[in-house]
Amino acid sequence: MFILHFLPDFVIHLILIAGILGTIAGFVLGFIPFIKMYQLPIQIISVLLLSFGLYIEGGLANEESWQLKVKEVEAKLAEKEAESQKENVKIVEKIVTKTEYIKGKTQEIIKYVDKEVVKDNEVIKYVEMCPAIPQVILQSVNDAAKLANEVTK
Amino acid sequence: MKYLIILFTVFLASCSTPVPLTPKFPEAPETLLKGCPKQLETIEGDNVTIVDFTKTVVKNYGTYHECSAKNASWIEWYQIQKKLWDESN
Repeated sequence: MFILHFLPDFVIHLILIAGILGTIAGFVLGFIPFIKMYQLPIQIISVLLLSFGLYIEGGLANEESWQLKVKEVEAKLAEKEAESQKENVKIVEKIVTKTEYIKGKTQEIIKYVDKEVVKDNEVIKYVEMCPAIPQVILQSVNDAAKLANEVTK
Repeated sequence: MKYLIILFTVFLASCSTPVPLTPKFPEAPETLLKGCPKQLETIEGDNVTIVDFTKTVVKNYGTYHECSAKNASWIEWYQIQKKLWDESN
């Protein structure tokens, strides 16, 4: 209710109290001369004030319960957000370790090929017999390597 | 009386209050947002030996394994974030 944003809480309570007092005055204290003079307007205004006061008090109570729920949900969301960040850190640590291991191992294998495989007698014999790989084979391997480019086209 | 009715009508008119809660979409780690290379390494040249060939294949396997690890991380990230999201709703 927008009115709750403008009116301070004590004003809402005052409206209700004024409504209650006015209703009592208008309906019960009619024997007092001053009140008797304005009985009808007092009755009308105080009933209206009482109705409005009750309505707005209900709204206030409802608003407070909602605000409480909102705060609960906010706290829950903040907790989950923190948990999500923590999980992100774990995932990053894991992927960085894995990637470093893979990169390192790949370099290690390439070095092994450069240092050891080239010295292997069987490989030497093979290279002597077949110094260059036929272009058609290279073309097929390159085509396979370029597959992703074709997909994006 | 006329003014009173108008005043009360305005006061009693309730407006919908937007709930000030907008759950944020979880941020993915920067590392995962870097894509895989668009193309694997190709082998060029006229006199490509079996050794050069092997080295390129090894490099490409390495690239594949890196991308595979990243893909596995994305799956893990999604599963964890979905679980957290479901728990918060």
